[in-house]
Amino acid sequence: MEAIKFEQVRFSYESDERKDANQDVFGLDKVDYALDGVDFVVQEGEFVAVLGHNGSGKSTLARLTNGLLTPSSGNITVLGLDATDEKYLFEIRKQVGIVFQNPDNQTVASIVEDDIAFGPENVGIPRDEIGKRIDFALNAVGMQEFRHATPSRLSGGQKQRVAIAGVLALKPKVMILDEATAMLDPRGRKEVIDVVLKLNKEENITVILITHFPEEAMLADRAVVMSEGKIVLQGAPQEILSKGDELKKFSLTSPKPIRICRELTEKGLTVADGMDAESVAENIRAALNERGIVTAQAAESEEPSKEVEATDGKGGVVCENLTYVYNAKSPFATYALNGVDLQIHAGDFFGIIGHTGSGKSTFVQHLNALLKVPTAEKKYKPKKPKKGKPQPPKTALTVDGYDLTDKTTDFRELRSKVGMVFQYPEYQLFAETVLEDVAFGLKNFRKDVTDEEVQTAVREALETVGLDYEEIKDKSPFDLSGGQKRRVAIAGVIVTKPEILVLDEPAAGLDPLGKEEIMSLLHKIRSEWCKTVVIVSHDMDEIAENCNRAAIFADGKVLRTDTPKRLFADVDRMLDAGLDVPFTAKVCKALKEKGLEISCDFTTQDLIEKTYALAQTKGGQKNA
Amino acid sequence: MREVAFGQYYPAKSFVHKCDPRMKILFLIVYIVAVFLSKNFYALGACAFVFVLVAAFSGVPFRSLLRSVKAVLFLLIFMTVLNLFFYSGETVLWEWKFIEITKEALYHTAFLAARLFLLVLGSSLLTLTTTPVSLADGIESLLTPLKWIRFPVHELALIMSIALRFIPILTDETGRIMNAQKARGADFETGGLIKRVKAVIPILIPLLISAFRRSEELGDAMDARCYAGSKVRTKYKKLTFTWRDLIATLVVGGLLAGVILLRTYTLSLV
Repeated sequence: MEAIKFEQVRFSYESDERKDANQDVFGLDKVDYALDGVDFVVQEGEFVAVLGHNGSGKSTLARLTNGLLTPSSGNITVLGLDATDEKYLFEIRKQVGIVFQNPDNQTVASIVEDDIAFGPENVGIPRDEIGKRIDFALNAVGMQEFRHATPSRLSGGQKQRVAIAGVLALKPKVMILDEATAMLDPRGRKEVIDVVLKLNKEENITVILITHFPEEAMLADRAVVMSEGKIVLQGAPQEILSKGDELKKFSLTSPKPIRICRELTEKGLTVADGMDAESVAENIRAALNERGIVTAQAAESEEPSKEVEATDGKGGVVCENLTYVYNAKSPFATYALNGVDLQIHAGDFFGIIGHTGSGKSTFVQHLNALLKVPTAEKKYKPKKPKKGKPQPPKTALTVDGYDLTDKTTDFRELRSKVGMVFQYPEYQLFAETVLEDVAFGLKNFRKDVTDEEVQTAVREALETVGLDYEEIKDKSPFDLSGGQKRRVAIAGVIVTKPEILVLDEPAAGLDPLGKEEIMSLLHKIRSEWCKTVVIVSHDMDEIAENCNRAAIFADGKVLRTDTPKRLFADVDRMLDAGLDVPFTAKVCKALKEKGLEISCDFTTQDLIEKTYALAQTKGGQKNA
Repeated sequence: MREVAFGQYYPAKSFVHKCDPRMKILFLIVYIVAVFLSKNFYALGACAFVFVLVAAFSGVPFRSLLRSVKAVLFLLIFMTVLNLFFYSGETVLWEWKFIEITKEALYHTAFLAARLFLLVLGSSLLTLTTTPVSLADGIESLLTPLKWIRFPVHELALIMSIALRFIPILTDETGRIMNAQKARGADFETGGLIKRVKAVIPILIPLLISAFRRSEELGDAMDARCYAGSKVRTKYKKLTFTWRDLIATLVVGGLLAGVILLRTYTLSLV
C-alpha cells in the first residue's frame, strides 16, 4: 500500500498578498515555490533517502507530509487519509513522526523518560500503556540505561536517539528524519543510522531519510534527488549516486567509495563500484589481478623531514606540561588537561583530534588566553619554594612568541594575533550590517583605527572568504544564507590579520560540498593571510585530506603527534583507542590483507595516484 | 557539574528525597506557619527538633545545609544588628550616647535570628532534596484546583518544565558566545556602567536570536508530536501518596499540634 502520495504538490512560503502582487498583467504568476509540482510516492515499509542541497525543498516535503504546512495546490494522501483536511491532522501526526536536525531543540523535559512520554500523553494514552511504550521505544533505540538521565548530559548521537524514541512512542507507521544527522559527529551519525535501519527492517517502519550525506543514502531502497523544488532524479541509490557529473549540477557529490572507483576507472584502471572499504578494496584487487599484479610491497620511503622552525617563534605554539583543573579545590575537581606536551610549527595546517571530553577544547582555549595558566592570572603571587618538597614540573606555553605563563604579557595583543573561530560561528553575529560585524574585532583591538582603515581591512577580509564586499557590506548578517553567515563570521576573526587561526569544527553542519569549500578556503587563508591554521575535528577524513600534522588528545593528554600518514597507518591501534580512521586508511588496510600494500598519505588523491601507479608497474614488484 | 550547581539539588536516595514533592511543599508551608506562630523558644525548639529530625533522614550533609545559609548571612546579620540597637526595652544592659542595648532587645533579636535561621534552613532542605522537575510537578498538582477558575495550570507547568530544560543549554550558549566575542577583543570587565552595558549587546543579541530560533524549532517538534493543549492529555508521572508520605503527614500534624500546645502552655503560664 502507498504510505505517502504527493500529486502535483506546490507550496510557497510567501504570503497570499505577495502572491497577488507577483502576478503580472497576464495573470502569470512569478511566485517562488519551495515545492513546484512534486509527484512523489512512498510504499509502506520502504526506506527512501531524499537528497538535495540547502533550499532544494526537501525539508518542506517533510513538513507537508505531517501537516506542519499545508500545500498551496495539489493533493497529499498519507496512509489513505487526505493530509490537506484538518480533521485528519491529529491522526496523521500520530502515524508520521518527524525527527528534526537540532538534538537540543526537540526535547521538552529534563528527564529522558518524561520526554518520551510527551507524545503519548498528548494523544491521551493511559498511564500503564505509556510505561510500556517508553520501554519499547528505549529498547528500540538501545537507550534503556539512560531512562532516568538528563538529556543535556548525553552526546549528540544519544540525544537524537532519544528524539527518535520520543517519536516511536507514538507508534508511527512512517518516520521522517529531517537532516537528523547533520549536526552529529561521525560516531553519532552511525549510531542514528544504525537505529533507523533496524527500525525499518525489524519494526517495518517506513523511513524517509532526508540527508545531505550521500553515504547515508546508499543504505536506502531508493534515492530521490531534489533541486529547486522539484524531484530531478530517482532510482536505486547505487545507480543515482554514481552519476557524479549529474549530481554536481545539483550541488551534490557521489559518496567517497564510488568516487574512488570512478576516478580510477577514468584514469584507465577499470574498477567496479564499491559500496564500502571492503568492497572497494576487493574491486581494486580484482582490477589489479587482471593486470597480473597479485602482490605489492610498499617501499619503505623516507619521508622528507621538513621541520619548519621559525626562529622567533612567530606563528608557532610550544606547550609543555600544561595542566588545567575545572572546579579546583572542590569535590568536583576534574583534570581537563593533565600535562599536555605539544608543538605546532609555523606554517602548519594542524589537526587536533579527540573525543568530547578529551581536553581538546580546553587546550584550544588556552591558545588565546580565554583560559589562562595559573601563573598568568592577575592575582598570582609566586610562592617560595618549600624545602625538601620536590618542585612540580614547570609549565611552558608560548604562542606566536608570547609567553602565556607570564602575567605581564599583553593578552589583548595576543588575542589579535591568535584568531579563534568557534563551532557554528554564525551564531555570534550581532551587528546591524555585515560591515559593522566584521569590523567589531578590529575596532576592539585598535582604538585609534580610522574609518578608511576599517573599510580596507573589512574589504580584504570579506574578499578573502570569497564574498563581494560592495554587495554584502550593508546587508544585515541575518538575511544571509547559512554558508554566507559562516564566511562572514570567519572574516570577522581574520580581519585583525592573526598569525595563527584556530577553528573548532569549522565544517560542522555543512553538506559535503560546503565542507570542501570551507576547507579550501582555509588553505587559501593559510597561504595568503595567516601563517598557521589549527583545526579541531572529529572527522578523520577531513584531517587526512587537509592537515600536514595532527595530534590525538585523550584523557587530557596528547597521545601522539605526527603526520596523518603515520597516525593512520596503524588502523588497529586507532580503533583500539576508540578513534576512527579515514576511509582511505580502511581501504589500504583491506588491500594490505589481500597482499597489496599501497603506501599513500591517505588523501583520496594520493590513494588514487599510488594505486594507478601500481597498476602501471609490471608484476607489481616495484611500488612507488 | 552544572546541574549540581543549579537549583542546589543534592543527589541522594534518602527517605526525604523519595517523599512526594506535594507533601514536601505542604510540609514546608506548615513548617513556615509553625515557625511564625512560635512566640517563644520552646515552640521554636519544637520546630528546630522537627527540622533536625527531617534533616537527619535527608542524607544531606550538614555542610551543604550551612552553605545555603551563607547566601542569606548578610541579611541575617543586618537584621540582627538593626534589631539589637533599635528594639526598645526597659532593662538597659549597655549604653553609648544614643545607642542602647536592652535585655528585651537581646532576647528579641536572638529569637528573630533563630526564627530566620530555621526558615532558611527549612526551605533549602526542600530544594536540596527535590529536583526542580519534581518541584514543578508538585506545584502543578497542588495548583490543580485552580483549573476550576480556568487558570491554565497545565500550560504553566509545561512552561516551567521547558524553562528548566533549557537553562543548561542557554547557559552553555552564553558561555560560548561570550568566549567568541572575547576572542574578538570584547572587554566585559573594565569601564564605566554605560560602557559595560554596551559591551553586553554583542552577547545579548545572538543569545536572543538563538532563543527565538530554538523556540520555533521546539514548537514544530511539539506540534509534530501531537501537542494540542491539555484537552485530551494524560499524565505519565502521577505523584503517588505512599507510606512515606503518611509518616510525613503524622510528623506535620505532630509539629503543628506541638507548636500550638506549647503556645497555649506558655500563655497560661503568663
